[in-house]
Amino acid sequence: MIVAGGPVIPNFGSGSSCEVNNGWFCTDWVWQHWGDTLQPALVQHIELTVIAVAIGFVVAFLLALVGFRYRLLDPPIGIVSDFLYTIPSLALFQILLPITGISVTTVEIALVSYTLLILYRNMIEGLRAVPAEIVDVARGSGFTRIQTFTRVELPLALPTILAGLRIATVSTISIATVASFVVAKGLGAPIFTALEQDVFKTEIFTAGGMVVALALIADALLVLVQRALTPWVRFGRSA
Amino acid sequence: MNTFVDAFRFIGDNPHLLLVKTGEHLELSGAALGIALLLALPAGLWLGHLHRGLFLAASISNVGRALPSLVLIAFGITVFGIGFWNNTVALVVLAIPPILTNAYFAVDAVDADVVDAARGMGMTELQVLLRVELPLALPLLFAGIRIAAIFVIATATIAAIAGGGGLGAIIVNRASYGDAGVVAASLCVSALAFLAALILSFVRKAASPRPTPVP
Amino acid sequence: MIRKHTRRAAKAAFAISFGVAIVLGGIAATAASAKPQAKPTITVGNKNFTEEFILGQLYGQALAAKGFPVKYAGSLGSSELADTAIKSGKINLLPEYTGVIVLDLAKEKSPKTAAATFTAAKKFEETRGLTLLNPTPFYDTDTFTVLTSTAKKDGVKTIGDMKKVKSFTYAGFPECQTRITCLQGLKKIYGLTQVKFVPLSSISVYTLLDQGKATGGDGFSTDPQQLSGKYTVLTDTKHIFGFQNIAPVISQKTLSAGGAELKSTINAVSAKLTLAAMRAMNKAVGIDKKTPAAVASAFLKANGLK
Repeated sequence: MIVAGGPVIPNFGSGSSCEVNNGWFCTDWVWQHWGDTLQPALVQHIELTVIAVAIGFVVAFLLALVGFRYRLLDPPIGIVSDFLYTIPSLALFQILLPITGISVTTVEIALVSYTLLILYRNMIEGLRAVPAEIVDVARGSGFTRIQTFTRVELPLALPTILAGLRIATVSTISIATVASFVVAKGLGAPIFTALEQDVFKTEIFTAGGMVVALALIADALLVLVQRALTPWVRFGRSA
Repeated sequence: MNTFVDAFRFIGDNPHLLLVKTGEHLELSGAALGIALLLALPAGLWLGHLHRGLFLAASISNVGRALPSLVLIAFGITVFGIGFWNNTVALVVLAIPPILTNAYFAVDAVDADVVDAARGMGMTELQVLLRVELPLALPLLFAGIRIAAIFVIATATIAAIAGGGGLGAIIVNRASYGDAGVVAASLCVSALAFLAALILSFVRKAASPRPTPVP
Repeated sequence: MIRKHTRRAAKAAFAISFGVAIVLGGIAATAASAKPQAKPTITVGNKNFTEEFILGQLYGQALAAKGFPVKYAGSLGSSELADTAIKSGKINLLPEYTGVIVLDLAKEKSPKTAAATFTAAKKFEETRGLTLLNPTPFYDTDTFTVLTSTAKKDGVKTIGDMKKVKSFTYAGFPECQTRITCLQGLKKIYGLTQVKFVPLSSISVYTLLDQGKATGGDGFSTDPQQLSGKYTVLTDTKHIFGFQNIAPVISQKTLSAGGAELKSTINAVSAKLTLAAMRAMNKAVGIDKKTPAAVASAFLKANGLK
């Protein structure tokens, strides 16, 4: 359509009747937008999660070493953790905005915090659950403190730590969807966009379904890791 | 730090607003938790009593953990439109797994000898569950209810995106209420969560058959 | 004997250093003038709704096609938040509405024409180290939108007619509450004190109207939904919504660094943005579910701007 002297308005292609009428599920929308919307969002989501869990794991481990070695420090770290966990993620993301700006850093800081809380708790519990008698036997056999830790306490705490890793990963995948409220990355972004576009059902179901699938796959993968690393644990009632 | 101080000032300046929003928040959370208890508690307790459905209980627990709250809220409004049910259903779905799973494992873990003794005394199955297994299952059971309550109270903030009101309406509205408002509302949510945990521990102590031995 | 040698040596050393410095300086100066000035990086920001996403892509892609490095800051939220971002230098290009600048940011009185609004907005921005480039032909004002069925039922045609409705709700973005071009105008200029405000979060105005959750809402005049017969716009007889052409806000530093090419590229895009064009693009994204980037790209290509 050309208006004299005006711009050329190309035909952008009309949406299918399913898209225009907001049907329950429009498969053609999914095929068309896999490359430009869904796949990038999925990749971003995985990136966000992996970075947060990796950093959270390392920091939690260091904190757990401190809390385990110096028992007096554990209750304060514990109480602060419990309190921080009740802060709604929506609020934490926004509170960090003035400090670190609208960037992935803000999101990562918040995600790492939540991961940290879950992992710290699990690591300390796991280490504490090692029976004192076994530790005594190890020391008695001549193991140094460090040897006792690396060869006895840590392996025995591993099942609990891995269980915590599972919970933390699934939890992070879930919280990362809310992150799109402040930074348009990850699978939450298509969901927010779709809510605004007169609640576009297909996009919500597709992106939402992908998050759930991602969480279930991650959980299953970590179960395999659990079994590989700690084959001696029987899996009847997982935590 | 500044924002923290401003937040308290915000609370002082806007008591009515916060009270109204907290009321809405409690209404939504309470309704969802109540419905979840009604649905999940009997099912979990009975299955645990029968020692059947371990796979079901474990699966529901795993799947439940994997359900992202935002996705549930979004599904809710997509299916139900804006109203009372969209957010309530989403929160109920979120609350059921911890209650069901913990109810199951709590009853399942009760010492078989005690149960047999009770049966030997002539109690019916229902009596065994209510008078013997349930009191012994209370700690683990209430741990699950506590998890569910905290989940629901925290997730109800996201419900504001889908017209849910409550303290979340302040938190998503940084443009209107400023950082002070967001922090203030967030503190209220944390306070509610702690309060819920406290009330639950009181209820548990009241319902426990004997005084718990001092450790 | 030694002192004389030393003095001569010192003088020689000084002369040599001086000479080297001049030569080096000359080389440097030549090099600097011979090297073409690097194009400044344009960080495009936009506000949090469809039309702004499209505008951000239009300007960004056109500049990228001319060799400017372009970064997209993404959605910054409301005008007030976007304004903070450009003032602080986080972004250096922002498509903004002239009326919003004059009435909501500068808090001045409403000018009588679109041209006057643009001039006032430009003057305001230039006091802050920013400036405006040419305005677009199209404008996009807020509108008091109701369901056509509501308009018929209550018998209202203009905003002033709402006075006879005892109580009603008005839905809008949160910043609408404090703006004279929105809720404040309804209350103070139209005297509609009985209105109750419903803040929008992620759900659009039209969804709320459809589901009966608000009587009226703050729709935008270029929204594709406004073209269906389902919604009616009440006439803004007192003109509270102002003149709202788009004019790209740009930092003066970036503009001088980018030179004539930056200016002409952006102005060329703006010139093509007529009401029909904008409506078509909004429809492509909002109704036909194309992505803003794809729609912007198609438009630029069709008009030889990419």
